[in-house]
Amino acid sequence: MGNLKEKVDKKQQKKSKKANNRKFSEKDAMIKKEDERNKVNNPAEKKKRKREKGNNFDGGDVTRISREDDRTKAEREKKRNKLRKKKQRSEEQNNALVGKYDQLSTESEDGFNEQKCKSKKSKKKKKEHDTSKEDENILEKSGETDHGEAYCISSVDEDCSKGMKKWLTDYNQSRPGLKVLQQRLDEFIISHEEKLEQERKEREDQAAEGGWTVVKHHKGRKKTTDSESGIPVGSVAPAAVENQMTKKKPKEVGLEFYRFQKREAQRSEIMALRSKFEEDRKRIQQLRAARKFRPY
Amino acid sequence: MDADTLTEPMDFKVSELINEVQIEHSPSFTKLVNDTVSSIQNSIDKIPNNLVVTGEEAAGFVRDIGADKVEFKFKKPKSIAIGGSYSIKCVVKPDVSVDLFIQLPKECFHEKDYLNHRYHAKRFVYLCVINKFLKSDSSFEKVEWSTLQNEARKPVLLVYPAGKLPEVPGFFVRIIPTAKSLFNAAKLDLKRNNVRALNQGGTALPTPRYNSSILEDMCLEDNTEFLKKTFFGQKALGEALVLLKVWARQRDSIHSHDGLNGYLIAIILSYLVAYEKVNSSMRPLQIFRVTLDFIANSKLWTRGLFLQKQGEVKILKEDRMLYKESFPVVIFDSTTHINLTFRIKDSGFSELQDEAALTLQCFGKSGDSAFEDIFMTKIDIPAKYDYCVRLSLKGNNEFYSSGYCLDEECWRLYEKKVQSLLSQGLSDRAKSIRVIWRNIPSGCSLENGLSTLDGEPLLAGISLSSLDKAFRVVDIGPDAENKEEAARFRKFWGEKAELRRFKDGKIAESTVWESEQWMKHLILKRIVEYTLLRHLSISKTSIEQTVDQLDFSLLHGVEDPMSFSSSLLGAFDVLSKRLRLIEDIPLKVSSVQPLDPAFRFTSVFPPEPHALASEKASIPRPHKLTSSCIQPLEVMIQLEGSGNWPMDDVAIEKTKSAFLLKIGESLENSWGMTCTATEDDVDVFLSGYAFRLKILHERGLSLVKRETGSDQGKQVSSADQKLFVRSQHSSMINGLQGVFPIYGPVVRLAKRWVASHMFSACLSEEAIELLVAHLFVKPLPFTAPCSRITGFLRFLRLLAEYDWTFSPLIVDINNDFNPSDKKEIYDKFMLTRKGYEESSQNISPAMFLATSYDKASEAWTRLSPNVLELRRLVAYARSSANLLTRLVFQDQTESYRWECLFRTPLTNYDAVILLHGDRLPYPQRLLFPSKLNHGRLVARGNASKAFQPFMLPGDLRGSLDKLKNKLLVDFDPLRCYIADLEKECSTLKMWYDSLGGDAIGLTWERSCSKKRDREEASDDEDPIDVLKAVGEAGKGFVKSVHFLKAPRLMN
Repeated sequence: MGNLKEKVDKKQQKKSKKANNRKFSEKDAMIKKEDERNKVNNPAEKKKRKREKGNNFDGGDVTRISREDDRTKAEREKKRNKLRKKKQRSEEQNNALVGKYDQLSTESEDGFNEQKCKSKKSKKKKKEHDTSKEDENILEKSGETDHGEAYCISSVDEDCSKGMKKWLTDYNQSRPGLKVLQQRLDEFIISHEEKLEQERKEREDQAAEGGWTVVKHHKGRKKTTDSESGIPVGSVAPAAVENQMTKKKPKEVGLEFYRFQKREAQRSEIMALRSKFEEDRKRIQQLRAARKFRPY
Repeated sequence: MDADTLTEPMDFKVSELINEVQIEHSPSFTKLVNDTVSSIQNSIDKIPNNLVVTGEEAAGFVRDIGADKVEFKFKKPKSIAIGGSYSIKCVVKPDVSVDLFIQLPKECFHEKDYLNHRYHAKRFVYLCVINKFLKSDSSFEKVEWSTLQNEARKPVLLVYPAGKLPEVPGFFVRIIPTAKSLFNAAKLDLKRNNVRALNQGGTALPTPRYNSSILEDMCLEDNTEFLKKTFFGQKALGEALVLLKVWARQRDSIHSHDGLNGYLIAIILSYLVAYEKVNSSMRPLQIFRVTLDFIANSKLWTRGLFLQKQGEVKILKEDRMLYKESFPVVIFDSTTHINLTFRIKDSGFSELQDEAALTLQCFGKSGDSAFEDIFMTKIDIPAKYDYCVRLSLKGNNEFYSSGYCLDEECWRLYEKKVQSLLSQGLSDRAKSIRVIWRNIPSGCSLENGLSTLDGEPLLAGISLSSLDKAFRVVDIGPDAENKEEAARFRKFWGEKAELRRFKDGKIAESTVWESEQWMKHLILKRIVEYTLLRHLSISKTSIEQTVDQLDFSLLHGVEDPMSFSSSLLGAFDVLSKRLRLIEDIPLKVSSVQPLDPAFRFTSVFPPEPHALASEKASIPRPHKLTSSCIQPLEVMIQLEGSGNWPMDDVAIEKTKSAFLLKIGESLENSWGMTCTATEDDVDVFLSGYAFRLKILHERGLSLVKRETGSDQGKQVSSADQKLFVRSQHSSMINGLQGVFPIYGPVVRLAKRWVASHMFSACLSEEAIELLVAHLFVKPLPFTAPCSRITGFLRFLRLLAEYDWTFSPLIVDINNDFNPSDKKEIYDKFMLTRKGYEESSQNISPAMFLATSYDKASEAWTRLSPNVLELRRLVAYARSSANLLTRLVFQDQTESYRWECLFRTPLTNYDAVILLHGDRLPYPQRLLFPSKLNHGRLVARGNASKAFQPFMLPGDLRGSLDKLKNKLLVDFDPLRCYIADLEKECSTLKMWYDSLGGDAIGLTWERSCSKKRDREEASDDEDPIDVLKAVGEAGKGFVKSVHFLKAPRLMN
């Protein structure tokens, strides 16, 4: 049961760690605490820790908590240092990776080592998961940071808010049957029409309030454009309009009728040629820069 | 030439190209050449005169070419001189070499040494002595054997100097022995026999090729002198030669021992100069064109060319005829002793003419890409030919059973034999067949004999004439009454030949190659295999044909699902008839159009008919696997015009749904079809297929047009517009598919490739179809591909090599574009590239695909791929193309086989999600179950029991209606999962395979932090926690989540 207590401890620490991230004053205090503990456990590590500015709590935690005998610990430590060195080297390569990466790397290393050392323990863990489903999530979390064991996605077939179950439910809900759909559509259309009607009324009311009356003119030509959007409606088919438009074009004066038109056409043609030439030249410079002329 | 004085962009590019490939004769380079030559000279000077040399120096070689009396006393070469392209300043990078002619001294040879390969043996032994002394000299890095134009009996020495120059990596000097006036040329006339071993029943046969081989050495110096004279001071001519060399070198099939080489190109050019077809006022490109035109179209080839003016020709007409009979191409040199093109084969020359003609077409048709098509595109055997056959003949002793070298070498004879077998076996199925055996690798040791020269594989390329012919099932041979022909036919085909009576009453010999429709591309393979096995003593395993190696990726189980296409089209016809007949809806259906790629044969997995989805559905038998999902196929409907449609978008969509529901109901009532619907989609079942109906409302279209017309910035694409574009695309591709039946399979391979490398989200299916369409409508400098693998290779190369940043890809399927259209496209393209100057990432779309229905490339590539995705895509395409090319050329080691083209490395992602393969909707489409050994396992989960891709026997009990309800239409957990992830994790980018992969790659989105402070960014969740959440979201579907790389924080 000591094991469990540890876990609770651990959980609390995790919480406090998260809080730390947000509040810096607290964080400092925490680092001190951490350092003190580290001193007891592993004074050699201390300097390094400090340099890394408390970014890797987890590393510290694990060393503190694990109850392996000293020899294996030292071994692990060595291994970890080696790995860390490697990581640090790679870190230098891309300066963009700052603290966060570091923290992460220690974490993942831990996982690595732990997995190797404690496969037996993890098996035990699994059994525990099965028995106590209630605080499974908590166990998961702590178990993971504790022993680097992979987090297990839980309640696969019970949880309807996520995953396969959700998708299937969504699917079934989206197909309620033709009748229901029809009904929904009808409802929508009725309410939509009502809404439109209301909007129209409101507008008219507004106009009336402002001292205007809407005068309707019904005589003469049939209404062909919608008063709001200016879009032709009713009798005018778009195809017909387009047809008319295309018929109109040739009635314009021929493009080469006036001398100035000819001159302009010539000029614009020359301009077009020149611009194309300029573009080509620019492009060739780009190609040259990209060494696009080497056929091998 | 000053670049600014040139007006044509093509001239611009050509002058740049020449600058790039031509070697500057700089003092340092000249010094390197001179130093190397003089140290060679020094080494040779060290050889003691009168050193007695015997055939023992190279016993194997002497034995294999069948020479006797090889002893001689070594004398110094009569002269050592630089020749070849260096002497006319036309060396072309990348392989920079200088030819050094060493004139063999007369004293070492007897008068009659032209007989029985004695000259060849002595020539080699002489070189062996030089080789020995060169090797002991420290001023050379290495000395290697090679051969002159792949002729094993004429070795040359390659000398690599120890001193290096960075401009010319891999520089070497080629030592070529010459035999000026060693023998009496009349003795080497082409009618004479000089290899006594070659006879037929006692009568000696003429040995024209053997004679030419000796004559070539005798005339080499004179002809080089002649070339020097022609090219001296002719800058443009020299540059034209450089261009021609680059052109030929890009074309594997003509730049070979039995085709063109630099020397022959120079000869042809000097012929054109001599006959004033080319003059000094022409520009290099003009000369290039004239030369190609001459090669492709001149009638003079049938008579033979004479390097000397007609008046001075001393050759008799009969002799000329004789030459024409012995050789397919004849170019007499200036001394008229020898045909310089004696190595060119029939197939080589026709290939040459074809390539020249194609290139001339490029000038006219390619437009702006002419330069790239002509000079920059590699036209190697895998990309050029539709089918490639590779024979590994290592250790096969059949081909040299009658000696290695008689008149011709055994390898050349074997080439010819394979060529004739293939052309007889394939008859008019093949347009052209080219057999090339580059059997001599450089650096081989020739001293020990010629038996080791069979290590390289023999390659045969086959171009199909037309698919109809190539896929023909029955070959009709000669009439049965024609006894002689029939007997020959029987002899060739053996037991495959059958006497058949045809419909028109004719009785004829024939061969039958029965085959399923979807396996017809294998007919050719079977014929080739049968023919070669029957007539050559080789084993089946030594024949490797690139035909069907990639088919595995398209199969559904053991069969290509394409075989269901005809039943699908039948069902569609029935559906469209029924739709038009519907009376009980306010507006009648006026047209029905297919949208789904399955209707145009470009779907990787067109659906199979489902037992539960047909009207006469029966409960499937439990022992048969019944899928629990069904893919719906989209079909577009247009209704009669009406003025009563609502005006706003939402209402239009709702009205459409209402219409579709009515249609569904009506179909249910009058035909007993099943209809199922959601708020957005209506699906109906017919003959085992599910069809998803969509309505195109034309006025919605014009609405949008007007809006975009008034406000360019606001790009609305309503559902109607999308539908419209898709219908245009569909009909266009359908038309293309009708013209090129092989288009479908190529697209399917391309789509499968894109998906299996997890680019499903980056490149839409339609974009892939357009890319492949480009290969067919603008095939230059090739012809349109006629096989799936060739088409696929060209697709990969297009993706990898096209200049996406600076050029739009215009896919003009029906030849709709006039110049003003093209200008419009270019203007639009330039607009999208405006931002490039500021930042190379600032271009969108990164891939500009213009078509007649979408000139601004808005339909398919507007959002993806972006620049980074495209870069990744290009890198993948390049490595796949290289692998595919290597696979055609030679067997690869175990780990790099064909399936690797579709196996994607999972290590290139920051994190990877592995899915439960048996929870995919179609598990049989999974190519390779993914495994991952890298990274850290973050989370794992069990498979959900709620979903099974196949119906369990237990489910199959119960009523039919209930079962039908269990059938999931368009249910895809992967799509649902991706959608959920996109909603939840903005910091991750998903890479996935929508065609049935069981892995999802994740990368941290770089632009995630945007303008937020660093503090906030670091406050972001721990990546491990993010990944856990990712795992949670895919509950029941996710097998495991692996963490590989931490996110980079960008400011």
